[in-house]
Order: sequence, then C-alpha cells, then structure tokens
Amino acid sequence: MNKSLGKKLVGLALSALVTVSFAVPASAQKAIKIGNVEPLSGPSASVGVQGKQAREMAVEEINAAGGIKSMGGAKLELVYADSKSDPTVGVSETERLINTEKVNIMTGCWNSAVTYPATQTAERYGVPFVVPVAVRDTITERGFKYVFRIAAKDSWWVRDQFRFLKDMQEETGQKMKTIAFVFENGDWGTGFAEKWRTLAKQDGYEIVLDEPYPSTATDLTPVVTKLKSAKPDVVMLVSNAADAILLTNTMTEMKVTPKVVLASGGGHADPKFLENVGKNALYLFDEVEWNTDVNKPGAKETNAKFKAKYGYDLTGESVDAYAAMYVIADALERAASTDPKKVRDALAATKLTTGPAMIVSYDGVEFDENGQNKNAGIVIAQIAEIDGKLDRVTVWPKSARRAGYKPVFPAGK
Amino acid sequence: MTAVIQAVLNGTMMGSMYGLTALGLTLIFGVMKVVNFAHGSLLMVGMFAAYWLIKLTGMHPYFALFIVPPFLFFFGYFMQDLVIKPVFKAEQQVREPLTVIIVTTGVWYVLDNLALMLFGAEYRTVRTAISGTSFMLGEVIVSIPKFSGFVVAVATAVGLALFMKKTRTGKALQATSLDREAANLMGIDQYRIYNLAFGIGTAIAGIAGCVIIPFYYVYPSVGVVFDIRAFIIVVLGGLGSIKGAMLGGIIVGLIESVFSQYITSTWTEAIIYAIFLVILFVKPSGFFGHKQDW
Repeated sequence: MNKSLGKKLVGLALSALVTVSFAVPASAQKAIKIGNVEPLSGPSASVGVQGKQAREMAVEEINAAGGIKSMGGAKLELVYADSKSDPTVGVSETERLINTEKVNIMTGCWNSAVTYPATQTAERYGVPFVVPVAVRDTITERGFKYVFRIAAKDSWWVRDQFRFLKDMQEETGQKMKTIAFVFENGDWGTGFAEKWRTLAKQDGYEIVLDEPYPSTATDLTPVVTKLKSAKPDVVMLVSNAADAILLTNTMTEMKVTPKVVLASGGGHADPKFLENVGKNALYLFDEVEWNTDVNKPGAKETNAKFKAKYGYDLTGESVDAYAAMYVIADALERAASTDPKKVRDALAATKLTTGPAMIVSYDGVEFDENGQNKNAGIVIAQIAEIDGKLDRVTVWPKSARRAGYKPVFPAGK
Repeated sequence: MTAVIQAVLNGTMMGSMYGLTALGLTLIFGVMKVVNFAHGSLLMVGMFAAYWLIKLTGMHPYFALFIVPPFLFFFGYFMQDLVIKPVFKAEQQVREPLTVIIVTTGVWYVLDNLALMLFGAEYRTVRTAISGTSFMLGEVIVSIPKFSGFVVAVATAVGLALFMKKTRTGKALQATSLDREAANLMGIDQYRIYNLAFGIGTAIAGIAGCVIIPFYYVYPSVGVVFDIRAFIIVVLGGLGSIKGAMLGGIIVGLIESVFSQYITSTWTEAIIYAIFLVILFVKPSGFFGHKQDW
C-alpha cells in the first residue's frame, strides 16, 4: 500500500469519527430502556428467540416512525437477559436489569414459573412489568399495581373452548349432548380437566368419559377403545407431541369418529403434528393463540415481513411480544415521561384498538384493575384441506375467521 | 362385551410385541449373566434403521425384516467384541460381572446421545403400506400392523427356541449359560459364544424395531419406554426363558389393555407392578426361571 493512500484512509477514518462524535449531541434524547427476561437457552429457547425477534422488529418500526414523539422523539432500546427457563435465574436477572442496567420498563418471561417471581421483584421495585404471554392465572391475581398481561390466561383457554362449542352449535343448529375428556395426566392436562368439568356441567353436557392417560404410553388403543364405547358427540383433548400423534392415528385405525374433536394446542399445535398424522387429523379443531391467516388488517403483511426477515412464520408467542412493544410505546407517548409511576398509570389507562399491534386475534388491549387484558382471547383453527394441502384455518372467533371458509361442524368423517 | 373382546385381542397383540422386546434381553442375560442396560437403545437403533430404510426406499416394512436384523446382528456382535469383551476378560473370575453392567449403561448413553445429535429430538413416524389399515372380525377391529407384529413375534420366539434346542450353536449357547467353566473345558470358546448371544439378542431388537415402526413413532430415547417393561417381563417370565418372556409380555399387555377398560389408564402401570410383586412373592424365580441363584 503506498503512503498517500494510507494517509487518505487515516484521514477518512478520522473524519468519520469526528462526524460520529458530532452526531451524538444532535439527538440528545436518552434512549428509553426496555428490559426483557426471556428463555434464550434451555428447553424453551426456541420460543424465547421468537419473542426476541418479534420485539426487535416492533422496536425497529417504532424507532423508524420517529420514536416517542411526546418525549422529543426518544428511541426505544432493548436490553436482554436469559432466564434459561429457571425461576431463580429469572429473578436475579430481573434485579440486575432494574438495578444495574437501570431499565425503565420490564417485559417477559414466557414461562409461568419464571414470570410469577420475576413480576413480584418488579412490583417490589415499582417498575412497570408488561407480560406479553405467560398463562398461569395467578400472575395477575395478586393485587399487584405494576404488572400487566396482554395474552389470555389459563382459565380463559377453557372458557373459550366452551364458547366456541356454543357458538358453533348456534350457527349450525346442530346439538351436541355428550362430551368426553381425554387428557395427559400432568399438571397441564389435569388442570384443564378440572375446569372442563365445571363448565361442561354449566352448559348442560353429559360427561360420558373422563380419562387421564400417561403421555409416555406405548399404546393408546385401550383409551381409544374406551372412547369408542362411550360414543361421545364431542371429544376434548390435551396432549403433548408424541401422544397427540398416537391418539389421532389410533382413532382413525379404530374408526372412532366423534362429531367434534377439539384439542388444546400443545402437541396438536406442534408443526410436526400434521407431518406425522396427515389426513387423519382432517376437521380436527385446535385452540391456539394466533394463526397466520387471522382475518385482521395488516396481519398478512406483518407476517410476510417477519418471515422475510427471520425465515419462519409468526406464532402466538411472537405476536404477543410484538404487540407488547406497541402497547409500551403507546403508554410512553401518553405518559410523556419515564417516571415509573406515570408510565404505570398510562399503562393502566391503555385503550389500544388500532395500529400495528392489532394483528392479534382479539379486538384490543385494555387492562382490568388486576392488569389483565380484558379483551384477550384465543383462536380456534380447523385442520382442512385447502388446494390439496392440509392447512390450519381460523374459524373462531367469527371476526377472525378466514374469509370464504365454512367450518365443517359436525365433522364425523 | 365387544369392548372387552377388543381389549383382550389388542392386549395380546401388544403384549406379544412387548415380549419380543424382552426376548433379546433375556437371551443375553441367560448366556452372559449380564443385565444389558443398552437393550432399549439397541431397540432404538433398530427402529431408526427400519425408519430410514422405509422412509428412503419406500419399501414394505416387512422387507425391512430381511435387512435390519442382519445389520443389527453385526452391530451387536462387534459391539460385544470391541466394547464389552475387554471388560469381561478383566473380570473373568466374577460370576456376575458388575463392571460389564456399567459398560452397557455407558453404551446406552452414548447411543441415545448419538441419535440425538444425528436426528434431533423430534418424533418421527413413517407412513407405511400397512399403517392404519385394519380388518373386521365380526364387531371387533383388528389392526393389521399389530396383527402382523403378533405373528412375527410368535414366529421369532418359536424360531429361537428351536435354534437353541436343535442346533450345535444353540446347544453351545445353552451349555455356556448353564456353566461357563465346564463349557470352556469342553472346548467351547466362551467369548465367541458371547459375541453370538449379543448379536442374536440385538438382531431380535431389530425385528422388534421393524414390527413396531408401522404404528409407533421413533425418537432418540424411545428405548427407555420399552426398557422398563422389558425388565419386568424378563423377571416375570424367569431370567433366560424364551417361553417366559413371551408369556410375561402377553400378561403385561393384557393387564394394560383390559384393566384400563374399567379404571383410568393411569392406574394400569401401578397394577402391572402390583401383580408383578405378587407373582414374585409366590414364585421368586418367575414362571420358568431356574431355582438356583443366578
């Protein structure tokens, strides 16, 4: 390299440095720090990373649109901590973000077991904590002032399953009388079943089978045989990945054809499920937080943008994380300050029904006195064959139903 | 009533396959006096071998029966020769070589994690020509993959029993199983016999893999699910007994299937253990076990 070129390069580098240092005072606004505790490694890492990427995309959009205008165009800045899905780590990371990183707002943590103590820590410090998704009911039932949840809680999942059944029966004029519960015998399945029993009684169904089974079973034929003798109109399921596959295939083999099969996400929502069961899952209903085809303005475009950026579709978890950023931006806009008390009050007064966040499956974000989003809901999708390919088609709530699709109800094949 | 007949039939078919998974375990124990903790992993290897073979070539799962077991025979043969034999030689003077058991545990972990690394943790099923097909027997539905599994399991057990009784090699296996030293003095090379026993036991795990794959799924730790059952079946039937393994398997299958028609299926596991304990209390050496202390 000759001398003059070297000199030129050094000069260029110097001038670049100078411009940068001059650029700093121009945007004197301090960035508003959002602390995020997510499982970025360990068993739930994939979900944690999805949430992280959705947050990044939303914050980029918000900053590109001029940041928080009421605060002189202040930009949002994301700070991450890895919870490893471990409650203890989640709490210490929350403390670190609040005390060392001096974040203004917290979000996280996907795992209920982590969110529960982490929100308690934030409450103690008086830092607003927005929970995009974590399902345990009690997270917003402790009389906390600084905790806000956007997604639906556990008991609402069950509530919506029965609402869906009711709505569909009204829509089609078909009456369902008997119901069977088949669920994995872990915390999740048994918790669902407890709530099912109450609601089924309320709605006047006759429970003809109430069957827990171990997820690790080598053979579910006995359970399916029982189901066959019970002859229910409706079968409700809670299954993990492997047993969802086995149950679906065994039901087809044993020619068990209830009018309605309604699953609760989990194993049935696993991308591998359809691959492994194929047409055996036709017309099964599955409850999920969000689906790529929800009939909401902007949903398609946002999903396309996300897919182009990261290579896969948005999911329920990532949509909630995406919406959470807009909820925070909206509250900051109204608070015009980073004072935690003011931000908290602004969050409590949230009434968000428009804007990019509304790609969610429900119609708005508005918190009740416990900080739970009153409008949060779930979508129910039906597995159907569209153009020769199996697809999950959103059918409920009706406002989110895929245009032109008529649900197959009852589905007795 | 139909449900009961259905349950009995299904229990018998599933049970015969549980018996098949236990057959290799009981053979290896009978000959080597080693509890092979890697047995479940070998079954997993057999299932993956069958899975990939069917998936990649689209062949009928029962053609895989002629390819997977021979492959697994050599797999087991050389595993014993290269990994287990050296430890055995070091422990020559011990009747029940404990270190060998630890080595098989090591093999179990290595195989399971190798599969995890190669194939990931996801569940895989393969749609074969017979998956999900069935025929009617009056009111009762008989699943074709399970029925063929039953036929293969019984044929394998009968074949193995004949092999042990009629052939020279089979007799040498039996002799080694009865008395290691005496067999050695009669000129039987015990290490070759061990290689053979391990090879045959592994090949049977391969047969089990081929008949299970059409209706079940495979993932790296699938062996663990079958392993615990196989151990119970082996003890129930009597260690080293072929008849016992099949009978034990069918009993476990029947308990699982019939009892769960009357109580929730989560209890059947407990009932299996309870009946297992009762039988051991009455007959400590299992149905067809020898009276001597192994």
